[in-house]
Amino acid sequence: MTPLLLEVDGVSKHFGGVAAVDDASFGVTEGVITALIGPNGAGKTTMFNLISGFMRPDCGTIRFAGRRIDGARGDVVARAGLVRAFQTARVLTRMSVLENMLLAAKDQPGERLGMNLIAPRRVARRESEVHARALELLDLVRLRHLADDYAGTLSGGQRKLLELGRALMVAPRMILLDEPMAGVAPVLAQQLLDHIQQLRQRHGATVCVIEHDMDVVMSISDRVIVMDEGRVIAEGPPDAIQRDERVIEAYLGRQGHADESQRGRPA
Amino acid sequence: MDFLNLAFWTFVASTAGIYAIFALGLYVQFSMAGLPNFGHVAFMAIGAYTMAILVVRYSVSLPVASMAGIAAAIVLALILGIPSLRLRADYLAIATVAGGEIVRYLAMNLPDLTGGPIGSIGLLGPGQIALYNGGWQRSLDELTTALSAVIGAAANRDLTMALMVWSIVLVLIVLFRRLERSPWGRVLKGIREDEMAVTAVGKNVFAFKLQALMLGAVLGAAAGLLLALQIGVFSPDDYQPTLTFYAYLILILGGMNRLWAIPVGAVVFSLLYAGTRFLNFFPLSLIDSGSRAFLRLFLVGFLLVLFMAVRPQGMLGNRRELLLEK
Amino acid sequence: MLEQFAQLTINGLITGTILALTGVGASLVFGIQRIANFAHGEYLTFAAYAGLLLNATYGQNLVVATAGAMAATAILAVAIHFGVLRPLRGRGLVATSLITVGIGLMLRDVIFMVVGPQTRQFEIDQTAVYDLTLVRISPGQAVAIAITIVVAPAVALLLARTPIGKAMRAVADNRDLAAISGIDVERIGTYVWLLAGALAGLGGTMFAVVQGTFDPNLGFQVLFLIFTTVVLGGIGSAYGALMAGIVLGLAMELSTWSGFAGGLEARFKPVLAFAVLIGLLLYRPQGLFGRARVF
Repeated sequence: MTPLLLEVDGVSKHFGGVAAVDDASFGVTEGVITALIGPNGAGKTTMFNLISGFMRPDCGTIRFAGRRIDGARGDVVARAGLVRAFQTARVLTRMSVLENMLLAAKDQPGERLGMNLIAPRRVARRESEVHARALELLDLVRLRHLADDYAGTLSGGQRKLLELGRALMVAPRMILLDEPMAGVAPVLAQQLLDHIQQLRQRHGATVCVIEHDMDVVMSISDRVIVMDEGRVIAEGPPDAIQRDERVIEAYLGRQGHADESQRGRPA
Repeated sequence: MDFLNLAFWTFVASTAGIYAIFALGLYVQFSMAGLPNFGHVAFMAIGAYTMAILVVRYSVSLPVASMAGIAAAIVLALILGIPSLRLRADYLAIATVAGGEIVRYLAMNLPDLTGGPIGSIGLLGPGQIALYNGGWQRSLDELTTALSAVIGAAANRDLTMALMVWSIVLVLIVLFRRLERSPWGRVLKGIREDEMAVTAVGKNVFAFKLQALMLGAVLGAAAGLLLALQIGVFSPDDYQPTLTFYAYLILILGGMNRLWAIPVGAVVFSLLYAGTRFLNFFPLSLIDSGSRAFLRLFLVGFLLVLFMAVRPQGMLGNRRELLLEK
Repeated sequence: MLEQFAQLTINGLITGTILALTGVGASLVFGIQRIANFAHGEYLTFAAYAGLLLNATYGQNLVVATAGAMAATAILAVAIHFGVLRPLRGRGLVATSLITVGIGLMLRDVIFMVVGPQTRQFEIDQTAVYDLTLVRISPGQAVAIAITIVVAPAVALLLARTPIGKAMRAVADNRDLAAISGIDVERIGTYVWLLAGALAGLGGTMFAVVQGTFDPNLGFQVLFLIFTTVVLGGIGSAYGALMAGIVLGLAMELSTWSGFAGGLEARFKPVLAFAVLIGLLLYRPQGLFGRARVF
């Protein structure tokens, strides 16, 4: 069996008296697209925040590529190769689309203040590499024609694409996408889906995605993790999950219209 | 005073240049990194006090004492910044202005160290007048002699000072233009826009903010040193919080996010500030000369409100960029 | 030493109550309008001079002068709200803070130009002392005690019992929730400025009366004490500010008590207050009494 790239073990997070994530454990194998699903309030986004270092777990361990990352700062986790995107895309509105991309580049010596004065050549050399890479990725997410526009002028869907492109600039080993389709026009959504699949095929990246649309989940994911009330209640291949009693219970058990609200979730 | 007094305007030119350096420090913190430092004046104060104390009390040479002044400002930036940089914007504004006031109150209330309310003159205790800028005056005189070899009799101490200050401004502007466009400046700009997004791509936001605060502190202290050396005496009252807001006004006049507009803002501000003393025609002549100082400060407040209200992009900026939604 | 303690306690209670009442207004404004009003100190200065005008020029007694100052300052606060702050809303926290800084400078320096920089005092015997065996009270302090003893419970009642007071607290606590539950947030916002202005009016005249002499820097000197009160009580919490003002007033005075490790020298009181403010912002921004709350 291939070693796990991400291991979440017994992680909990409480807000006040409420457990948003409750003793959750699961693993993600390298090179696989994993969907994290569950009813609203199941703790999926909190789980992402915990993994990506934006929140500190109350207890439990998280390992990425064998290294403990629970409690590490967000930027440290990102540099370790685990990069997240947000539910509502966070683009830097008063910077150009291209600048948004360039900012995310790794190993730019020019990010150290003094290097710009001591070794401007080295900075410029790296900058031109980064520039080329940014344009390549902008091609991939079909935003190249907007490279010089302020990111603030992009539509919601375009912002999601830009955020995806920006995350790729970090050259991550694993990428966390929080509802990448939410608020995205259908045409763009299809593009996004293609990108996510290409990511794995072409770049060998590992993807973990929070998604509500079951059709999407079933079509793109290799593995599904189901959360409910902060706990991981099921884990397995999509077709098995679809038949899993506990999952059906979680989605349909408490309210009759849950099926409708989850499947056709308005964008 | 005569409106066409050359010596006066030369002096104003130096002051304008010093304010430009001071505002440039705030530019790094506020315009580049988005840190609303409302206590910038504290860096000016600590720079000047450290320098003067070392020169007067411990006979340290002026260049070394000046370096120590700048180092002290960096230490202050660390003390203020490490705990407070995580605060949200308006809390940071309150915390920094309070920090600045602590520095001023300490300067006022530790007479054994600082000379107390009478300021630098009291550094040696009662009965003795302390001066710290003798070395500076001598160097200026030497430079003036050198200058007179080039431009003849027009050379004088004030002119040398003005030329020197503006040369520094020019060098700094060129330098910061480069830094602003560097990957370092890009990260700061990103932090100004959205810290979380910048963290998510692997940048240590806190470290960048601290660097911006420290670099701004260096410039603040440098401006404080120059001002103290130019004027020759200072007291805690010279470091009122209003001074920080002069720097904000300079940034706003120039348009907040335009580096090259800072010297323009500084000149306009200084003209307004120095120029109000010539507003002695009716109906302003009804205000007695003592009250003119208050008129000046009123104008500062009025322009702050006016520009924030009507032209947040400043005299020269681009409104579209500023109004883009976050 | 006991006498000193008693005296400091009384002084602290007086300063504290004035701070508390001013702080209630400032805290509600901070909670509702989401602005740190750097001009709030100048509202107090304005009030002190409005009261002085009635008292010294028109020969009114201190109660009438205080009431007049409260009314005038309430009008000023609402005028600035409608004239400047409301039209400029939505420019962001820092822009708004800078605008209030500008307003503060304008107000202070207009006052300087009108009344001059010299110190003034109310028509009140500054030399008399009422000796109550354990403590001694100046006439100014006596007036402040008399007025605050009436006003403080009235304000507490207003906030606790009247519909409008309840609405103010609701909006300050959670603007969105209040709006959803059908409160007219805009109207309440105006009332809050009226109340905050009136209380600043009270605070300004009372500080002037208690201090004895004052100049146009009066308000700016206490601005940070007001901020400290607001933060200590929890931003937007009226009761918190009431408590916090009294706690802060007492703490500042008692810090100089010789029984307390020899006592802090009085000249370092402001430094202590600033340090407390910064410490609070850093480690308990929700205030001493507040619950943790996500902004």
